[in-house]
Amino acid sequence: MTVTICIGSSCHLKGSRDVVARLQSLITENGLDHQVQLSGSFCNGHCEQGVVVTIDGGSEIYSVLPESAETFFQNEILPRLNG
Amino acid sequence: MLSLNQNDNITSIKDAVLCEVARLAYEGTLDEKKENLPFEMIPGPKANFRCCIYKEREIIRQRIRMAEGKAPGTENDANIVQVISSACEECTLGHYQVTDNCRRCVSKKCQSVCRFDAITMEKDRAHINMDKCKECGKCYQACPYHAIVDLTRPCKRACPVDAISWDEASGIVKIDEKKCIQCGACTEACPFGAIGTRSFMVDVINLIRSGKKVVALPAPAGEGQFGKGITMGSLAKGIKELGFADVVEVALGGDLTAAYEADEWAEAYKAGEKKVTSCCPAFVNMVKKHFPTLMGNVSTTVSPMCAVSRMVKAKDPDAITVFIGPCVAKKDEILDLSLDGNADYVLTYNELQCMFEARNIVLTPDAENIQHGSIYGKKFAGSGGVTAAVLEAMKEKHGVADVNVMVCNGAAECKKALMLLKAGRLPADFVEGMACEGGCISGPGCAKCEFDSRKDRQALLAQADDREIWQNLNEHVDLESFSMHRK
Repeated sequence: MTVTICIGSSCHLKGSRDVVARLQSLITENGLDHQVQLSGSFCNGHCEQGVVVTIDGGSEIYSVLPESAETFFQNEILPRLNG
Repeated sequence: MLSLNQNDNITSIKDAVLCEVARLAYEGTLDEKKENLPFEMIPGPKANFRCCIYKEREIIRQRIRMAEGKAPGTENDANIVQVISSACEECTLGHYQVTDNCRRCVSKKCQSVCRFDAITMEKDRAHINMDKCKECGKCYQACPYHAIVDLTRPCKRACPVDAISWDEASGIVKIDEKKCIQCGACTEACPFGAIGTRSFMVDVINLIRSGKKVVALPAPAGEGQFGKGITMGSLAKGIKELGFADVVEVALGGDLTAAYEADEWAEAYKAGEKKVTSCCPAFVNMVKKHFPTLMGNVSTTVSPMCAVSRMVKAKDPDAITVFIGPCVAKKDEILDLSLDGNADYVLTYNELQCMFEARNIVLTPDAENIQHGSIYGKKFAGSGGVTAAVLEAMKEKHGVADVNVMVCNGAAECKKALMLLKAGRLPADFVEGMACEGGCISGPGCAKCEFDSRKDRQALLAQADDREIWQNLNEHVDLESFSMHRK
């Protein structure tokens, strides 16, 4: 599974680096390093929804902030791996 | 001067767009004014480069999108290297063609060398049957009159990994994202400038304007890129005028990578393992995408870019690091977010030059010089430079450097070495892979081509002091504060 996080300037200011760090440590804590890849993307112009996160190149945009990264991990990443 | 005229060539058109976008981004008026930009740059009524002003304006519009980091068209793939569809000339599709230089000679060399029976003698000249032709090029080499021409599309010919094809209906080039190693060779090869790369320039300018601490990491190819006497110190002065808070030479990262790679090689040598270098991202992409079974052979030492970025972030976790170099594949390296602490953004020297122009910054030789890397780190940027630095680091630490390295200069040589390694027939113990011929100093993101920068570069490198690699690291770097390996 590839989780793509926008690293454009607007998302950067909203904390994309912290979202990446938070997700990366959750992935490692759960032993999922070989199953989930974190990938960066250029700005696609959806800045108002930042930090823009997509899963496996899908069109659905998840707005994730550093404080909601764990909820996103629990609700969107884990169920997909278990299901 | 904003509007383009008929004396402009592909380089000046590309630069003009980057420069105008940078200017507006610094003013904070890019979103408001970008729609007008194609009209200001191509005022008309007469077209200068293409069939009509409408096509010219569309090309400018697509270039603006790329300067902003977007895909030029509506389709949004993640590739760094992108086709500007409106600029693609849909070049002739036949590869080898017989021209009227053919004398219809009696030796019929073209016919006799063709193993596929594709050549027949017609009334006026030889003819190639495209259904039978396998494009081996034997006839092209055999003709004593050079009557057979190779019309392979320049972009396709330049691509070392066969990632380029075209849409059957439109003839417009497509890049296969699964094969592309982001080396950027096609961007330089296209005579119409129809392939380019996405840019982080606007992001970097926005972050500078927001007041963040943005640190520039200029690559070791920098000396010579901006002309005679423009030292790292002169360059750093100009970079700070652009709003960057600090400047750290990536040549120091060259020293770091060489030192740790030397240890890694020494261990691998004892264990009888073969290793390939990890600093050229296009070479690493070639292994990842085309020789995936060899990923275990890629050195786990991080690139000089990543090393310096980690060093800066270890001191100040809030610093935003921006690598500036001649490379477009580096833009791809930072998209792998599992590699923590890597540079946040990547700019090319070409983009930097356009930012200088946008801010009317003129670099002068009189600034106080800086030197963070040893001469070995500085020479990382040329083919053979990584090997020389790793061997030096080995010699400094162990007294000897008795290993056999194959230096691969350019993607074709890299491919050959990887094929040998895969087949278990590589004669050398280690491989230095650089996808650009000549090394980074010939990269597609250069501000000046290698031929034009060579003399100035040599003169500037001759000014560097003779510090050793380990001496430099022990004196200037807190080696305990960050890791030098991929995890």
